Amino acid sequence: MVKEIERAGIPVVHMCTVTPISVTVGANRIIPTIAIPHPLGNPSLPPDEEYALRKRLVTDALHALASHVEDQTVFEGTGSSV
Amino acid sequence: MKLQLGFIEIRDIRFSEETKVEGGVLSVNADEVLAHVFQDEEVKACIKKAHFDIARPGESVRITPVKDVIEPRVKVEGPGGQFPGVIAKVDTVGSGRTHVLRGMAVVTAGPIVGFQEGIIDMSGPGAEYTGFSKLVNLVLVCEPADDIQPHEYERAVRVAGLRAAVYIGEFARDIQPDEVKEFETFGIKEGMEKFPALPRVAYVHMLQSQGLLHDTYVYGVDAKRSLTTILLPTETMDGAIISGNCVSACDKNTTYHHQNNPVVADLFEEHGKTLNYVCNIITNENVYLADKMRSSDWTAKLCRLLDLDGVIVSQEGFGNPDTDLIMNTRKIEQQGIKTAIITDEYAGQDGKSQSLADADPLADAVVTGGNANQVIVLPKMDKVIGTLDYVDKIAGGHAGSLRDDGSIEAEIQVITGATNEMGFGYLSAR
Repeated sequence: MVKEIERAGIPVVHMCTVTPISVTVGANRIIPTIAIPHPLGNPSLPPDEEYALRKRLVTDALHALASHVEDQTVFEGTGSSV
Repeated sequence: MKLQLGFIEIRDIRFSEETKVEGGVLSVNADEVLAHVFQDEEVKACIKKAHFDIARPGESVRITPVKDVIEPRVKVEGPGGQFPGVIAKVDTVGSGRTHVLRGMAVVTAGPIVGFQEGIIDMSGPGAEYTGFSKLVNLVLVCEPADDIQPHEYERAVRVAGLRAAVYIGEFARDIQPDEVKEFETFGIKEGMEKFPALPRVAYVHMLQSQGLLHDTYVYGVDAKRSLTTILLPTETMDGAIISGNCVSACDKNTTYHHQNNPVVADLFEEHGKTLNYVCNIITNENVYLADKMRSSDWTAKLCRLLDLDGVIVSQEGFGNPDTDLIMNTRKIEQQGIKTAIITDEYAGQDGKSQSLADADPLADAVVTGGNANQVIVLPKMDKVIGTLDYVDKIAGGHAGSLRDDGSIEAEIQVITGATNEMGFGYLSAR
């Protein structure tokens, strides 16, 4: 899906947990997320901390979307810490 | 460590007043076995009722939904007991002597979790896809208590099956085996001195550990909470690993698969002849990327530490574990150690899609268990043990899989063990 949308000329950020697969299938902007059963949240955190985590992930994704990339890029060191 | 397995052939199972093994026939007092199973508090709390049924090879019988398959055994000499850390107390197994009731299994079935359980057909085209159709199966059909959580019920059925198998295995204790085989691996230095010219080979055994009812236990330890470690092959053969999985039926490793792992069996066949079988390395398949990276780092590190020449890697399940498989393989190859991997494929019903979710040029020796998306029609069977209520929902089925005439159209993914990634199956390109 990522590749088909980009083929239509629209840049895509792929937010996913297993970034090596995303690299293998050819995504260009990749944001590492939390875990496969809960990529965009962490149920073990208190609600306010989880909200902050989710907001950070989305902010990072928007930042990645606006970034110029020359090659496939995994945006490390962002909201992926667990 | 040396392990003797004494095989007692079982040709039939009958219900009877007395439980015993005689002349290749297991007689079972079902009430007595059930009473033992229900002595466990969790089983009592989570299983409303249960009964036994028998399915024989060639019969027009369909067992579904299948949860686990277990071979009854008993430890007759040496330390430990069956399923250490789960049923028996924790003690190192893999030495001494164990008696095996070969040719039969205890199968747990019934409305388990409802979406990822399997089918065993005892005859017809489906039977060709599962080795369990060749066994005489004592099926424990369970029904959940009201208002319990799926994970509580999974645990209760897991323990119920193991308890039934251990209880029955006990009746093999004083029987003279039909065949006795011996298995032994050596210490690092001892093995090198014994077989200086032979390549050093180990088996990297990947265990399903994604959580949420996708779990495997080693000496009672939840594999997702463990780092990559070493197990003697005879420990695996002696009940150290059990299945707690409710994953796609075709490529989940049941407890029976662990007890009878064909990679272990074949490596022992070649041990001391064409290779030196050093050990098994068990590693997990977790859902955090950091875990995948850490576990595969440790796998490669242990392979190097053991000065291996070659490794066989087997996977369990599919999808994101493909990444664990490829990470393990790439990192082991980067240590200068040759690898061959056993996996299966999800290449679409027409076989034209990418087979694995991940790939690497270093993973260049691949054995496949088959394409799980292949469609099969399973004819109606005269008898169903369990229930057909979930056929449309289990992985590999679809709305309308169960047809009005009682036949089933589904992917072979629904058949327990159909594309097993230890190579425990009959699919062949020949």
